[in-house]
Amino acid sequence: MTIQQIADKVRSGGRVDAEQALRLYREAPTPLLGQLADQIRARKHPEGIVTYIIDRNVNYTNVCVARCAFCAFYRPVGSSEGYVLGFDELFRKIDETIAVGGVQLLLQGGHNPDLPIEWYEDLFKAIKARYPEFRLHALSPPEVIHLSRLSQQPVSAVLDRLIAAGMDSVPGGGAEILVDRVRKLLHCYGKASADEWLDVMRQAHRKGLRTTATMMYGTVETEEERIEHLMRLRSLQDETGGFTAFIAWSYQPEHTELAGQEATGVDYLRTLALSRIVLDNFPSLQASWVTQGGKVGQLSLAYGANDMGSVMIEENVVRAAGASYCMDEVEIVRNIEDAGFIAKRRNMHYEVLGDPIFREREVPRMLELAKARDEGDDSVPAELLNYPARSRAGKALRVVQS
Amino acid sequence: MTVTDAELDTLSTSHDIIAIGAAADDERRRRHGARTTFVRVADVDAAPGAPTATPASAGEIRIVGTPLTREAAIARVREVVAAAGNTPVSAFSLADLERIAAAEQVPLRTFLEELKLAGLELVAQAPFDQLRDARLAIEEVNIAGLGLARLTIDKLPTADVPALYRQIAALQHDTGVIKTFAPLPRSVNPAVPTTGYDDVRRIALARLFITNIPSIQVDWSLYGPKLAQVALTVGADDLDSVSPIDEVPEGRRRAPLEEIRRNIAAAALEPVERDGRFDAR
Ligand code: SF4
Repeated sequence: MTIQQIADKVRSGGRVDAEQALRLYREAPTPLLGQLADQIRARKHPEGIVTYIIDRNVNYTNVCVARCAFCAFYRPVGSSEGYVLGFDELFRKIDETIAVGGVQLLLQGGHNPDLPIEWYEDLFKAIKARYPEFRLHALSPPEVIHLSRLSQQPVSAVLDRLIAAGMDSVPGGGAEILVDRVRKLLHCYGKASADEWLDVMRQAHRKGLRTTATMMYGTVETEEERIEHLMRLRSLQDETGGFTAFIAWSYQPEHTELAGQEATGVDYLRTLALSRIVLDNFPSLQASWVTQGGKVGQLSLAYGANDMGSVMIEENVVRAAGASYCMDEVEIVRNIEDAGFIAKRRNMHYEVLGDPIFREREVPRMLELAKARDEGDDSVPAELLNYPARSRAGKALRVVQS
Repeated sequence: MTVTDAELDTLSTSHDIIAIGAAADDERRRRHGARTTFVRVADVDAAPGAPTATPASAGEIRIVGTPLTREAAIARVREVVAAAGNTPVSAFSLADLERIAAAEQVPLRTFLEELKLAGLELVAQAPFDQLRDARLAIEEVNIAGLGLARLTIDKLPTADVPALYRQIAALQHDTGVIKTFAPLPRSVNPAVPTTGYDDVRRIALARLFITNIPSIQVDWSLYGPKLAQVALTVGADDLDSVSPIDEVPEGRRRAPLEEIRRNIAAAALEPVERDGRFDAR
């Protein structure tokens, strides 16, 4: 098939196979990829609405035993720079989020051996008791697997306990590239193999949870492996229909063990457009302005994205790897409208909640994303004493605390 | 492709930036093929006595900042030229030179000739929206025997894009010496930055409408690699202000030269380094 024939197939609503996807990715001119992706976006979202969510991206701990080679965020067990946020700190963050119209926390963190599953259950229950309407988009598949190993319980049981405690949906982090060759090279096979990642999502979907899916590209994978990643997501979505959205972002190399270089802006737009073409069963695609900046983030809306992601309020992971872009609600809405779309607030299920909140009431401008903790704050939450530590460093800390 | 006035008006309000960008890319490739030029520029301060050392890899040495007086400008050019070897030296904003000449009550041409005599090759930029009389000032640059490195826009124009581009095309029609136009504003309100759509539209329309200026330029250091690279796919063919420092700065993994070549190649274009004289290096 020629590129034109593949393009015609996409235009008429046909599904591309892996080989056709690879040919488009390698050979199609960037404007053609953009046009095809934009047509699919328009078919799926004919009303011209681009959504966004006001939520806060909170990393409850940076202590992690997984030690992925591409991660600049984690600190090893016992590091003086390691932290765990206290329940009160998290409540304060939720209060701040609600004040600017936020509806959920995106809660993810390191694989901290000193936080047993009971800590998560108590945290979720406490949040739901104080903020019954507030949503918890919490714990990516590798974190669920970590809790499964830590608690010696199957993933299904862990999910049941977390759902019972208040988990509303599962973020699609930790997918990186869903090919085990790549995962081994990135030292993230141990935290979750490709099958394990997909299986957590499968089980979550079966339990009625909606989840997102992600792809971090631009490390050691080949173009074929990027396509394989998309194909695996598409298959699972055919099976369960549980994914709400897909988010691709480029690997951020600064301060990481893996190092290397970041994929370019044009790479991003081509990858996004191809994802829109391949993932024909995903309702939504998010723009990753947090890795690409506001300008390429906005251009994503011409390359298949129909969602500007999250206002975020706080961000720690990408910042640790060198990128620090900020867009508050005013800025996100300005970018959506400037591109000719209608801006609407949404929840995690991509249901429209309403018009921009700043048009309904006064909301403080936010010109910088907050961090997990202020510089120099090395406090240890008192409630940690209630949870047994597994690591030597964690046990020593509990003794000091008591 | 020649764009009519009516088409320009329509395109300037269109949200179909892929179509606009694709048309501009066709036009850019018709003129330049895949060839994409870039220049490594070493900045030195305008104050007399400031350091003059620059990396040997620079293809242009640029004196930046506003000289206090005519005498200071001439003295600084002499100092920098003496240290520059064979590397072309550009200096100052033409708007500043216009102002200084008026304040010291000398004809602009006299001032420019003095700078030329001191060894200056190029006026670094002519900010269209800051010049009192753009046509006259640019003609004087030419008559004084100087080159003009680029025509720029300082602030986001209040006039609409078609009106602005008509004026710029007319300016080039009258002067014929502008080799490069950088359509993205150099000073932007950080509280309301231009958007990606704005930037793409401005670049693409510049390429489509201003048919008498050979190159459309983007400032690599001002606009950053991501937007600058996208700009190359929607009409721009020249990158200004690439750092001449080859060491890898703290926390970064790529030297600027390698980074720029990689970005140009990743946009399916061919990198060609040039100097301030617009000659390939
Ligand atoms: S990416 Fe997540 S799992 Fe991997 S080291 Fe970083 S915090 Fe740990």
